[in-house]
Amino acid sequence: MNILVCCKIVYEEQDISVLPDRGLSYDRAELKLSLYDLNAVEQAVQLSGNIRALSIGGKNKDNGKIKKNLLSRGPQELYIVTDEALSGADTHQTATVLAAAAKKIGFDLILCGEGSADLYAQQTGIQLGELLGVPVISSVSKLTAADGKIIAERTADDSVDVIEAPLPAVVCLTSDINEPRIPGMKDILAAGKKPVTEWSLADLGIAAPEVTVDVISILAPVGKDRKRIIVEGDDKATELFDNIKNEVRS
Amino acid sequence: MSEEKFDVIIVGGGIAGSVTALLLARAGLEVVMIERGNYSGAKNMTGGRLYSHCFNGIIPDFAEIAPIERKVMHERVSMMTETSNFTFDYTSDRLAQPGKESYIVLRGIFDRWLAEQAEKAGAMAVNGILVENLIIRDGKVCGVIAGEEQMFADTVVLADGANSQLTTKAGLQRKPVTPHQIAIGAKELFELDEKKIEGRFNLAPGEGSAWLFAGWPSGGMTGGGFIYTNKASVSLGIVVTAAEFINARKSVNELLEQFKAHSAVKPLIEGSKLIEYSGHMVAEGGYGMLPRLYSDGVVAVGDAAHLVINAGYTVRGMDLAVGSAAAAAAAIISAKSRGDFSEKSLSMYKRLLDDSFVMRDMRRFRKYPRFMENRRIFNEYPEMADEIFAGVFVTDGAPQASMFSKIFKTAKKNGLRNLAKDCIKGVSTL
Repeated sequence: MNILVCCKIVYEEQDISVLPDRGLSYDRAELKLSLYDLNAVEQAVQLSGNIRALSIGGKNKDNGKIKKNLLSRGPQELYIVTDEALSGADTHQTATVLAAAAKKIGFDLILCGEGSADLYAQQTGIQLGELLGVPVISSVSKLTAADGKIIAERTADDSVDVIEAPLPAVVCLTSDINEPRIPGMKDILAAGKKPVTEWSLADLGIAAPEVTVDVISILAPVGKDRKRIIVEGDDKATELFDNIKNEVRS
Repeated sequence: MSEEKFDVIIVGGGIAGSVTALLLARAGLEVVMIERGNYSGAKNMTGGRLYSHCFNGIIPDFAEIAPIERKVMHERVSMMTETSNFTFDYTSDRLAQPGKESYIVLRGIFDRWLAEQAEKAGAMAVNGILVENLIIRDGKVCGVIAGEEQMFADTVVLADGANSQLTTKAGLQRKPVTPHQIAIGAKELFELDEKKIEGRFNLAPGEGSAWLFAGWPSGGMTGGGFIYTNKASVSLGIVVTAAEFINARKSVNELLEQFKAHSAVKPLIEGSKLIEYSGHMVAEGGYGMLPRLYSDGVVAVGDAAHLVINAGYTVRGMDLAVGSAAAAAAAIISAKSRGDFSEKSLSMYKRLLDDSFVMRDMRRFRKYPRFMENRRIFNEYPEMADEIFAGVFVTDGAPQASMFSKIFKTAKKNGLRNLAKDCIKGVSTL
């Protein structure tokens, strides 16, 4: 079975700083693999087969350490499509490019994380299936494959839906589906030797996909200032209590 | 299971590990460097100074390409009491002589770059893996163990830092490290505008200052405070010999807080933003406390080998790490040519080290750790400086005594014999 795992490269959220105007600065932010996509990679390894990873993004996503990290988790090879037009791509643009690349690579099953660690729109996988004209199952918390079909479970509030679909298909996985393994030193060593294919949009024979969503602004929520009331001493419990009471009331 | 075997496994991707890897890879050896952090430098907290001479001949265009913070153009040493501070500040073109200059570096950035140089030369970097043990067969180190995995090599290089557990496992560190051989360091990193740093520390653009403090910062215990200027941040911290904390009244955190609040320090970091804090151990036992440096199939380099010099007015570890890495790499390349990785064959490492600046300087400062345990340096002398300069500068209209009598009177309080003894001892150990 040919399994293609889609992985997004995102900014490390801990490194993103909020500017005085509430805008976000990515200047000092490291890149990493979107957390939920690690579950997709792990699931591919557990299903076993010919596993390839696919990622797209702007030029800055061409990062050796991340490529090696991704490959150390099990995929046999990596395809990466970079183009400046893809930096900050919306879900439609992303799905369009993933679809073109997936067609070129070939697949029986495409695995995606349920959403991305940065925007969590939960759109890309669904649109990808639509563009490819194959079945999509989202919010999958258990997945098995046999005889040209897959059996997926979706956990609802008080029931579990069991869905069977023929391959090829696209499946979006929730983060509770598995525990991504931590690569060992031999996995990491081997990752450095695995093939990486780098494509541009021209290599895929497509133009930059149309932007369908205009981002007007991204702002951090207004922070609340600390009251900086410090109560010290063993006999100050009443004072502390009164302060809390007043603050809660106001 | 067939054993895949590499020429060399290096444990630790810091300065010592990366330079060893770089030199061995250049010589065509198959080198794996295993770093526990997600990248080299990720676990490093050193905020300090690197003497660049050590890279002469290793990275010839070091000054042009290395990611340094600032070039040190001001050497400052202070004697501090609770309410006073006496600083001397040396600046000179001589500090900037090519090949002799020193730089402030942030290791999170610097080590990453250095490890990349090793990777470019062909070394294989494995990050995010903690080596927990060594494979030892018939007394010979044959490889490393991480989790369930084993990996084999002709030689294992231990570059796992001041707190190396592997030097003990390899039989190099035979006696447990005592609290006298280790210092505890705490450091905070304050983000501050470049221009403000240059204004507050009296620096030209791109220039930096290295500043050590004795007395009040360590609470009179063996140790001191430090401030290094980075490009757009300031590293500030305290280092105190671990043994001092057995009976100490204050923790290293409390010392750091009071150091930051001192009137001579507070304005330097006013309005800055604390962006990082960390703590670590510093090896400082000196020449007399060195572990064995090599054995069958194994060598130790850098901090793991306790190659650190604390001379009071300056602290050196990074250049010794590079020097030891160069010696280790040369010895391993030679061992490889003979196909002999025994203790005898690897003893070339120690010979090369003995002839290098590393051991010459380690020997030169060998008495210094004992001298530094003299409490007068951290208590009476900063007080004495305060009294002398108060006598010189504080004017209240009362008849002034002569400069000499002021100094003599103050010095006498501490006992002239002690003072003379400490002066002679201090100068002769340096």
